[in-house]
Amino acid sequence: MSTWAEHVSTALLGTRRRPVPALAVRLAPEDDGESAPRSSHGGAGGIPAGADPAGALLEQAAVLTVQRRAGRRAGSAAEHAVIAPAPAETLPVVPPAAARRLAQILAGDRLPLLPQWLQAAAERGFRVPPALLPDLLERGRADRSLRPAIMRAAGRRGVWLALHNTDWAYLVNEGGDLGDDDPRVWRTGTRSRRIAYLTRLRGRDPGAARRALADSWRSEPAPDRAAFLATFARGLSPDDEEFLEKALDDRAKDVRQVAADLLAELPGSAYGRRMAERAKSCVRVEEHVAEGRRHVRIVVELPHAHDEGMARDGIPFHPAGSFAPAGGSGAPVGTRAGWLREILARTPLETWTDLLGMPACEVVRLPVTGPEAKTGRRRGKAGAKDDSWARDVHIGWVRAALRLRDAQWARALLADGAVPAEEAAALADLVGLLPAGEREPMAAALIRRLGDASWALTALERIPGPWAGELADLVIELLVAAAQEEERRRGGRAGHRLAPLCKLAGTHLAPEVAPRLAALGLPDSWPVQELIDSLRFRHQMLRELA
Amino acid sequence: MSEAPASFGAVSDRWGREQVLALAPDAASVKAAGGVAKPAKWHGAGCDPHSVWGECKGSGKSLYQACVELAEPAFRCSCPSRKIPCKHVLGLLLLWSEGAVDAAEPPEWVAEWLRQRRERAAKRKAASAAKTPDPKTAERREQRVEDGVAELDQWLRDQIDQGLAQAEHASYRVWDEVARRLVDAQAPGLAAQVRSLPALRHGAGWPERMLEEYALLALLVRAYQRRAELPGPLRATVRSRVGFTARQEEVLGGKRVRDHWYVLGSRESVQEQLTTRRTWLRGVRTGRPALVLSFAAPGRPPEVPLATGAVFDAELAFYPGAQPLRALVAEEHGPVSAVPRGTAIGGLLAEYAQALARDPWLERWPAVLEGVRLALPQGTPLRPDALHVVDDHGDALPLRFSAGEESRHGPWRLLALSGGGRFTLAGEWSPHGLHPLSAWHEQEGLVVL
Repeated sequence: MSTWAEHVSTALLGTRRRPVPALAVRLAPEDDGESAPRSSHGGAGGIPAGADPAGALLEQAAVLTVQRRAGRRAGSAAEHAVIAPAPAETLPVVPPAAARRLAQILAGDRLPLLPQWLQAAAERGFRVPPALLPDLLERGRADRSLRPAIMRAAGRRGVWLALHNTDWAYLVNEGGDLGDDDPRVWRTGTRSRRIAYLTRLRGRDPGAARRALADSWRSEPAPDRAAFLATFARGLSPDDEEFLEKALDDRAKDVRQVAADLLAELPGSAYGRRMAERAKSCVRVEEHVAEGRRHVRIVVELPHAHDEGMARDGIPFHPAGSFAPAGGSGAPVGTRAGWLREILARTPLETWTDLLGMPACEVVRLPVTGPEAKTGRRRGKAGAKDDSWARDVHIGWVRAALRLRDAQWARALLADGAVPAEEAAALADLVGLLPAGEREPMAAALIRRLGDASWALTALERIPGPWAGELADLVIELLVAAAQEEERRRGGRAGHRLAPLCKLAGTHLAPEVAPRLAALGLPDSWPVQELIDSLRFRHQMLRELA
Repeated sequence: MSEAPASFGAVSDRWGREQVLALAPDAASVKAAGGVAKPAKWHGAGCDPHSVWGECKGSGKSLYQACVELAEPAFRCSCPSRKIPCKHVLGLLLLWSEGAVDAAEPPEWVAEWLRQRRERAAKRKAASAAKTPDPKTAERREQRVEDGVAELDQWLRDQIDQGLAQAEHASYRVWDEVARRLVDAQAPGLAAQVRSLPALRHGAGWPERMLEEYALLALLVRAYQRRAELPGPLRATVRSRVGFTARQEEVLGGKRVRDHWYVLGSRESVQEQLTTRRTWLRGVRTGRPALVLSFAAPGRPPEVPLATGAVFDAELAFYPGAQPLRALVAEEHGPVSAVPRGTAIGGLLAEYAQALARDPWLERWPAVLEGVRLALPQGTPLRPDALHVVDDHGDALPLRFSAGEESRHGPWRLLALSGGGRFTLAGEWSPHGLHPLSAWHEQEGLVVL
């Protein structure tokens, strides 16, 4: 036992039960002048007779304590592994003012602007300062929607850091460029590392990725099969068709669904042809000549049954989401109508342009009716003009256009579609498929057409900023109208329209619009102040990143 | 990279955002202040070199007048909040810190308040100058402390005589009672040390830590009893640890050290509602360590913290002692740009040993380690509590991060900043390990941990 340990155990038991251990104190030289503590009971022979043992123990322990503290040695670096350096960065870090603003946003001040900050930084070729990465990655852990933006702005240091903390592994999965392309990762890595590996390999050599997955396919658990298969979205080509067709017969439902969704995006596939056959059996074209003119119309016959082939091709018996019987202001949708919408959503759009021999913009203008024999199939509205047939068909086309990212159909459907306001979100998404120059006028036209304020808000929420041009004009118009309405009902419920509109405008309007807003003389209420402050904040934020 | 990182000394005359928010009495105030820190909420906001003011729209029709005197600092707001400073003052300071408040002539209500403050301060000064310490009072106190120390001496021996084992499950009252008597004996330094003893009883190795503290306390008792034989500086050290505080005027009147002082960072500790902030400094030219203490009692306005990573040219006045450490900022000459110098791990330990030789009760010491890298014990996965620093001389030291939600990201920030490369680490060294406060990387700049 060391001298110190002897002192500790004596102190624990008490000097009345144990003798004070001997301590040989090496006293500092007399001329030292400094006052090292010294024991008067030093020497090998314990304590002098008559002295107080407790006091002696305390004095000796004091000497030992200071000795131990002053004599503390460093550990040996040889027993430690240095943390391997991060790869060199290729991008410069943001300017200091921008870094300070990011810290402010991450601390919770105007957190909704975080994606905009990240996007602006990434677009201008900057990366986040490393010291802010932990807070940023933590935000991405809680909010999935931030992850792609984080990925682009976090630099290589971000992925390097995420490799050290499993909480942030999502950054590695998002396909960071840091993960090594060592094939051993595929055989022995964790699930997230394997997904990252496969995603990268799909980008480089889709065929090799497919073969790698095929080799281990039978031994992978179901959730992993679905996740691995989802990487095929990258580099998807007809070469993948055979594999995907086989996956339609997989035991796991998730795998089947992923395969069906991928096949629906694949042009010229057998899947597309099967779907087109189903679609054409429900949607017929009728031509007749009346008053010397050729009339073409579309006649819809809802599918009568849900067969095994439909199930195999990913059309659920109970269509999910807005395909299911809708509540609220939307019309109820029958199961059969839901099947039709799903079929159309998965049918190649050229089916219709080929069948009718006209471009999309003309197809969407054709009248749509139900079978002549049966009238008033829904809601008992016999005799009334029933546009629900057109709705089902057009909603199916909207979904197909979104899935296939088809700008022509998007344009046609936005201009002349019979799509109800309940589909405001999907319609707003269609705007995103258009070339940049067309988006703002089309979005403005869409919002005007939706009319109702709450659907307009739903659509606006999904139209990416910054809003300028015609869209900005329209939003200012809406703001003025909402403010006037608020003035009129002063004393009543306040802000039920103005507040959400201001909030949305604050995060989406182009900051350059701020002077125009200030000149409008909107009432001085807090949502308006918030809006103007928010635009100012964003203006400064973008200037710092310039 | 041509862009210079946020560098040392990059401080302006205005306080930084962190400094302003450090004034907030609680987390709710920080959040509320963010909501008030918007130009649209303010009318007639302005500032001059000594003060900031503005009128803030509250809820409804109310308009609150807020102003700040920067030197002290002192805050005033006409709102009904009892928090000091309130959210309006904090919001105003945030705007000012962002440069969103323009210079102006103070309006009448601000000038009036400042005038009143000046008058009151002058009166107080006159009153304190008139009051000279009564030698009899001082004598009485010496006697009381003498008695208190003798009593503590006996109590410590009794504890060791009976054995510390019984302390493991004893009630806090045992120590509280001793501490209370020491307070009565006007030895608050000893009282505080006794009060911190029962908290040592946790975790493995507690008997060791307990014996260390009992022994050092006994050493202090012995030193105090033999103070007449001690050299002057050591006597001053002993007296201050017992609880005699040197008067600020005396300290400021003593010798001053002018240098460029680098702010390593600060830590706070709370004892009996009194928050003590320890801010560690190092002279860039002299290499001298310094400790600036500030205290915040509930309901009292706090002091503006020194910004971590800043370097400022100032004269410090040190409290007397064998190893002078605690200091007052006597005169500030403004921010400068300088890079901190550090030592290797061996240098830190040697320096600390020398300091202990001068003041054996010394616990904490400001460390600046240069050119260190992060490392882990061989075969250990990366965990914040396993992080070490190693230097080029083959030495390693463990890092101790404080627990708690707020500092949860400290280790990760350090890892992110270093990127596995070399950096300069500033921290608080104590026998329990190195507590990182801030770090500096050549390219990436500064991070506060």
